[in-house]
Amino acid sequence: MIHNLPPGLLMIFGGLLIPLFYRRAQSALPLILSASSLVLFLLTPSGEYGEINLFGQSLMMVRIDSLSRIFGIIFHIAAMVSSIYALHLRDTKQHVAAMIYAGGAIGACCAGDLITLFLFWELTALSSVILVWASNTESSYRSGMRYLIIQVGSGVLLLSGAIMRYNETGSIQFDLLLQPSGAMSWGTLLIFLAFGIKCAFPLLHNWLQDAYPEATVTGTVFLSAFTTKLAIYALARGFAGAESLIWIGCAMTLFPIVFAVIENDLRRVLAYSLNNQLGFMVVGIGIGTELAINGTAAHAFCHILYKALLFMSMGAVLHRVGTVKATELGGLYKSMPWTTLFCVIGAGSISGFPLLSGFVSKSMILTAAAEEHQFWVWIVLLIASAGVMEHSGIKIPFFAFFAHDSGQRPKEAPWNMLVAMGIAATFCVGLGVGYPWLYKLLPGEAHYEPYTWSHVVTQMQLLLFAALAFVVLMYSGFYPAELRKINLDTDWLYRRLLPNILGRLGLTIYAMDSGVRQGVMALVRAVIRSLGLRFGEHGVLGGTWSTGVMAVWATILLCLCLLINYL
Amino acid sequence: MSEQENTEAREMPDGWFYQPANIRLLVFGLVVACVCAVSAQFLYTDDHPHFEVEQWHGFQAVFGFLAFVVVVMLGKALRMFVARPEDYYDS
Repeated sequence: MIHNLPPGLLMIFGGLLIPLFYRRAQSALPLILSASSLVLFLLTPSGEYGEINLFGQSLMMVRIDSLSRIFGIIFHIAAMVSSIYALHLRDTKQHVAAMIYAGGAIGACCAGDLITLFLFWELTALSSVILVWASNTESSYRSGMRYLIIQVGSGVLLLSGAIMRYNETGSIQFDLLLQPSGAMSWGTLLIFLAFGIKCAFPLLHNWLQDAYPEATVTGTVFLSAFTTKLAIYALARGFAGAESLIWIGCAMTLFPIVFAVIENDLRRVLAYSLNNQLGFMVVGIGIGTELAINGTAAHAFCHILYKALLFMSMGAVLHRVGTVKATELGGLYKSMPWTTLFCVIGAGSISGFPLLSGFVSKSMILTAAAEEHQFWVWIVLLIASAGVMEHSGIKIPFFAFFAHDSGQRPKEAPWNMLVAMGIAATFCVGLGVGYPWLYKLLPGEAHYEPYTWSHVVTQMQLLLFAALAFVVLMYSGFYPAELRKINLDTDWLYRRLLPNILGRLGLTIYAMDSGVRQGVMALVRAVIRSLGLRFGEHGVLGGTWSTGVMAVWATILLCLCLLINYL
Repeated sequence: MSEQENTEAREMPDGWFYQPANIRLLVFGLVVACVCAVSAQFLYTDDHPHFEVEQWHGFQAVFGFLAFVVVVMLGKALRMFVARPEDYYDS
């Protein structure tokens, strides 16, 4: 029965067959595969399928419930939109990698046990790195290596945690992993850490800002949709209501917005922005109420689309201009009006303007925090909302398409990119206006009414006055100018500090080693010289002795033997 | 030829968004929208505030403005510590 096969498997195996087709046909296959897989997924009723026995353990390869359903649907939509965006691409390996990656993420969010989750978890890591390496630059190769080590490391932690949990509880089921008291065993803690790495928790986050901007134009769009949202799904499944997530999420919403202010590479700005948006979702999971989990799922759904839209618009700029550095851009609206429009819709959506998707989903999480009387969490999320307005709402469209005129007059984006951006933009508006449609997909009953007077007015106050602050800072000259600089983040620890420490350690060991070697060699030489003096040609013991002397010594030795014998 | 065009464009940007009168119009529009957003709070009463601050008139307006300024200033301060030349990791 086809239900027993994990959803996404069609995309994985179909993706492997792509190289067998004509090069011109290859780019259309991801779209066909994603659409077919979506139809199959929608036709599969909720339930548990694909039970197999492995080493005496029962694995439930497929478990589809309302939570995996919404993530499965949005992953399919993201794969389809991204495939349209990549229709112009003539690079077989990217098409194959993208399909395996998307299929792996879909399979993971429908995994019923931790081992199946681990397999798909690692598959997403291994396939997605191809999208980084496909840029074919030295920096993308190095960045991809770092990305791969961290992602595979996350999988290893997941597997170790699963084995430890099996020893602790005798089960590898992937359900709520928290104990009722909220405590975590060592195995659960490892799984939490594995999810945290993939979710870009603070201090574990920098693989995201390091690798995503290094990927190809189309690769980043795929990357933005799956890896981190798979982690959000896994956290929502396994750790809903874990209080620590509230504070981790708060930190995630705050620190990236400060980095985003001064970042020159606009795709890296979007990577920081992605990190900030994940923070909202992590807070929602930590709160854990029905509204909060609904808000998290809704936010993930909307976020995937508007974030993909923003990455697509910057990808179009990169495709046409060859750079996305704010210092090199400006004035592009004149020759790329459609891309500008779509980017502005994405920016409005992520900022949470009414009638756009972010307004609905983000407010669910804020209201969930307010309903639990989490005043400081609510305040932090408000600051983060103003920060989102800064880096994604204003900075991205302003410095790319307006600001100072760079004199660049590139052609408008290719038609397929415009179609993909148009679809994502339509979703942004459609979900903002037709939110009841989104509510039907949410894991819990949704009654939240986003369009109240109070909510619309206060949100407009926040956004408009944030925009006013931007104008004031620009006119007063306090807004930091874009500079051709990079900014150190935690990647400095393993890109500079650790190699330096290891380098110095290596030098010290080398110096000690050569010191010891020289000392030993000097000793050996001294011994040889000394032996040479005694046993050499002219040495006392090595020289030729006369027969008389020999006879005397032989007599002395014999006498000694006799003496010893009689003693 | 195209280089010449680019140079001209840099010297004297054309386009609607580069005309000082239009920029003034946009800023004026934003100020009007801000005034409207604050005034609109007089038109209703929030029956279900979760926190007391939500009842303060224009709280989110002031909060949004200040939060934006603080975030940008923190960014400026952060730059002093973390900004490096683009080839930092290559060297």
